[in-house]
Amino acid sequence: MKMYVYVIRRLILLIPVIIGVTLITFALSHANVSLLIAGYLGRVRTPQHIAIVKQELHLNLPVYEQYFYYLGNLFTGNWGYLAPTEVFDPGTPVVVEFQRRFPPTLELAVFATLLVFLMGLPLGVFSAVKKDRLTDQITRVIAMTGVSIPVFWFGLLILIAVGPNSILPMQLRLVGVGQIPPSYYYYPHSSILEPWVNTKVSGLTRPTGFLLIDTLLYGDWQAFLAGLYTLFWPSLSVAFTSFGLIVRFLRSSMLEVMNQDFIRTARSKGVPEYFVVRKHVRRNALGATTTVMGLFFAGLLGGVVVTETVFGWPGMGRWLFYAAIGGDMVSVMATTFVFTIVIVTANLIVDIIYSYLDPRVRLE
Amino acid sequence: MSTELAGSFSRSLRARYESFKKTFFFFTRSPIATIGLAVVIFYILVGIFGPMILGGNPWKTTQIFEYNGIYIYNVPQPPSLHFPFGTTFEGYNLFNGVVKAARIDLMVAAIVVFSGAIVGTLLGSIAGYKGGALGDVIMRVTDVFLSIPFLVLAIAFLVILGRNLTVMVVALVLIWWPTYTRIVRGQVLSVRELKYVEASVAAGASSFRTIFKHVIPNSIYPIFVQVSLDFGNVILTLAALFYLGVGFAGYYTPEWGNLIGLAASLGGGLPAITRYWWTVTIPGLAILILVVSLNLLGDGLRDVMDPRLRR
Repeated sequence: MKMYVYVIRRLILLIPVIIGVTLITFALSHANVSLLIAGYLGRVRTPQHIAIVKQELHLNLPVYEQYFYYLGNLFTGNWGYLAPTEVFDPGTPVVVEFQRRFPPTLELAVFATLLVFLMGLPLGVFSAVKKDRLTDQITRVIAMTGVSIPVFWFGLLILIAVGPNSILPMQLRLVGVGQIPPSYYYYPHSSILEPWVNTKVSGLTRPTGFLLIDTLLYGDWQAFLAGLYTLFWPSLSVAFTSFGLIVRFLRSSMLEVMNQDFIRTARSKGVPEYFVVRKHVRRNALGATTTVMGLFFAGLLGGVVVTETVFGWPGMGRWLFYAAIGGDMVSVMATTFVFTIVIVTANLIVDIIYSYLDPRVRLE
Repeated sequence: MSTELAGSFSRSLRARYESFKKTFFFFTRSPIATIGLAVVIFYILVGIFGPMILGGNPWKTTQIFEYNGIYIYNVPQPPSLHFPFGTTFEGYNLFNGVVKAARIDLMVAAIVVFSGAIVGTLLGSIAGYKGGALGDVIMRVTDVFLSIPFLVLAIAFLVILGRNLTVMVVALVLIWWPTYTRIVRGQVLSVRELKYVEASVAAGASSFRTIFKHVIPNSIYPIFVQVSLDFGNVILTLAALFYLGVGFAGYYTPEWGNLIGLAASLGGGLPAITRYWWTVTIPGLAILILVVSLNLLGDGLRDVMDPRLRR
């Protein structure tokens, strides 16, 4: 099978999954109609207003027609409006809030994934090569702790260690005073809320919304380093709690591959151990590891939601948290949908990369 | 006829018991897994008997308390002889809270994991054995559920159906079956092709009987491993939901995540929990130790039940 045929087939297979996801979000968001109406009207809702909202949301139609209206709204970007909760302006379109909230989350998730691979791949390979030796035991203990530690607790421990009251020098502390609840998204070691750009004074904006890319675009190296430092701690919190899965799976699949005949052949024909591990074992073991990537991404995004709340990261997770507390169901369903699409896309990318690396997959 | 059936049943039971004894022997050969099992049993005992011995609401019993002449209400006391784990904000006795949390956490985890495993096993064996359109539908639904992050889905359920412990359990059950379905289906697909299943079908057994008597008992072992690993996952998810305050089942629900969340929010944030470190550290350690032991147990089970490693 050609590469593009495989990609197209993989894309077609996505359609039922996405339809299923929309069915679930539709069922959930229409299961509690009073909450849906309350999200638009607030606490005071007279019969006339309820009738108007029901008319606008097509709640009087049969269920299947409602679903098609829902699908239409979903794919044309008409995701509803934020409910009047404490933190948000009521009436802001959900899509606008999404555009503001998505880049920080994506940045955090991508950076955390990078950290996972930087930590996880060498540790998994090392652990399998040095099976049952001291290094293997230590690696397994670390991976086990990472799998077992509560994300929010690890985040809090990090904040105790590097937060405003830590024993670190002032320049290295994360300080988020000036805002309640505290947010550690801003400059480290500033005791006041210092935003990354001040549009009213300098006229600069955040063209992409990504911390690292924006600071690089403006060429401010100090801001870039500060951004890296700010991004590092929450990413570490997310990465440490999800890299154990990769390490454990990589180790077991490495061990499985090592027992196979072609490895013995490679060794006996005199291939150096370094190449045996890198070219023969690791490449085959990585393929099996892609099967747990879906699970890995789901766990990672769950970790992102909690970590954003702990660190005050202005992303989707914190939005979901506020929406859940305030009963803003439209936002909850929007974030659920976006997170699912992110996972589906990530799985798609992994599959395509894997089919490029290992053409056997395409032959199925 | 009936005695013959009963005899064959007890014989098959005895065979399973013998194989279980052998498995258990191999299990106890690994010291780490045995330690995990011991800690888990300790937690279960604490969960059963702890609240009986301590009794009462941990908050109410210590709210008005004079200790060394200090009227403690809002200042957390460090761990001492009187308060083994110290007290947290608003005079909550942390030892009582941590002990009582064991019951709630283990109970919720047991309900969620076992119902998830049962539902998943049934659906997975149907999808694997029958296949066809029904199997396809089951597997597509599984794919859909697996591609939604379960923490987010749980939050959505809680917001829509109401925030209390019952809804939380129901939501987690609704979320937790797809992993089992996928595992069991994979197993059943290989078991289905074996001779004894073929023999059962040839002897005229109904597919109900074939599934329950031959297919499920022989494809269930990976489920045990997954159950012991998932126990930890459910406890972590539950703690995260309580920490976020999304699963608010009463202000002073003794639950480890809730205790941490209360300390982090009531104490005025980070400066307070840095100073009164035990309010956050001790409940977290309780979770960490339990989940590590559950994972050790699961790893031990996996090593024992994977025949390729044993023989």
